[in-house]
Amino acid sequence: MPRSCAYEVPVDTGLFTPLHLQPTAACRLAFNAAGRWLSLYAISHRRLVAEHQTGFVVWSVQLSSGDPVGYFDADCLDVVVTGRVRGGGTQFECDVEVRGPVGRATRLRACCVPLRLDGGSALAGAPARLSPEVMSAFLADEIERRPHLSPLPALRAVITGCGAELAQGRTPFVIHRHQCEVADQWFWPEAVSLACSGREELVRAEADRVPRLRLAMQTPLGRLDLLFSRPFYLFDEGAVVSTAYEWEGRLAFVHELVGTEGGVDEPRAVAIEQFAPAPEPTWN
Amino acid sequence: MMIRVNGALLRFTEYRRVIDVDAPTVEAGLVKLTGEYQPLRKVLFDREGKVRATHKVFLNGDQLEPDQLASRAGDADSVDLLLAISGG
Repeated sequence: MPRSCAYEVPVDTGLFTPLHLQPTAACRLAFNAAGRWLSLYAISHRRLVAEHQTGFVVWSVQLSSGDPVGYFDADCLDVVVTGRVRGGGTQFECDVEVRGPVGRATRLRACCVPLRLDGGSALAGAPARLSPEVMSAFLADEIERRPHLSPLPALRAVITGCGAELAQGRTPFVIHRHQCEVADQWFWPEAVSLACSGREELVRAEADRVPRLRLAMQTPLGRLDLLFSRPFYLFDEGAVVSTAYEWEGRLAFVHELVGTEGGVDEPRAVAIEQFAPAPEPTWN
Repeated sequence: MMIRVNGALLRFTEYRRVIDVDAPTVEAGLVKLTGEYQPLRKVLFDREGKVRATHKVFLNGDQLEPDQLASRAGDADSVDLLLAISGG
């Protein structure tokens, strides 16, 4: 049976919106949980980088919101995390549940890609397999032969193809150091923050014309899908191109995070938000 | 040539993103750049003095293979240094 790790996280007010967990906070909790699992059962991420010259970058994320939980519901949140490798050691995947005192947990799956680091202190790297030594730390049922496949491309195709476009907006940004991790590369949960900013700017700009958009401020996020293609770095300029759709009775936002230097939009990541009711992602 | 440095390398260039370098080829430009910003040398080049595989070099938007770094570059040309990394 795959090993899991369960623990409590004391709440603070920054983890929540008035409606639920902050999606960015859920992603940060999940990434920290994955690091805890790795450290407990395989190897710490720090040692993986320092001793095996291997790092992880997040490639694909699905978040499914559970029953709303708020700051005043409990002193602690319960976190449960499991980890496994997939695709012959070309991916590390974690499943994380975050729950309040009652109700369904918020679930997050993140698929990371190992990178062989060869950039000195810049921590630059290229995709690689985990070494046999690292692989040996995983139990047989923590090794899945099939690779993770992101559901996002198919989801985007059906939303943009079948949904009714309600509004579109563009929110420029510049990446600053507080949004980055140790190597001056954006910390991936920042993609969620930027997508949320894009959505809220769209609501601010268009809600008088399209009142339905206000639902995105009045109900908790139901589901979030993320797919990364290239990271942003310190002082990179970019924009969130957010498009709102009415699709199968729910409000959906497709956010394209693009680099804008050189006058051409260069895709870096896509985030799709769906507001309740939304079905759970397919956990392939 | 004008060399544009990506954000992960800025701390090695005193946070200058765009640096003018006077050199006849891209390779010579990179060598001159790392002479001016010494901490960048170990990051950009391996022990044999070759550009590490984790970095991609573009000349006027076109990616250069390692054997094309001797390409000539003048004042009006731009060279981009990007990290060869995928994912988040």
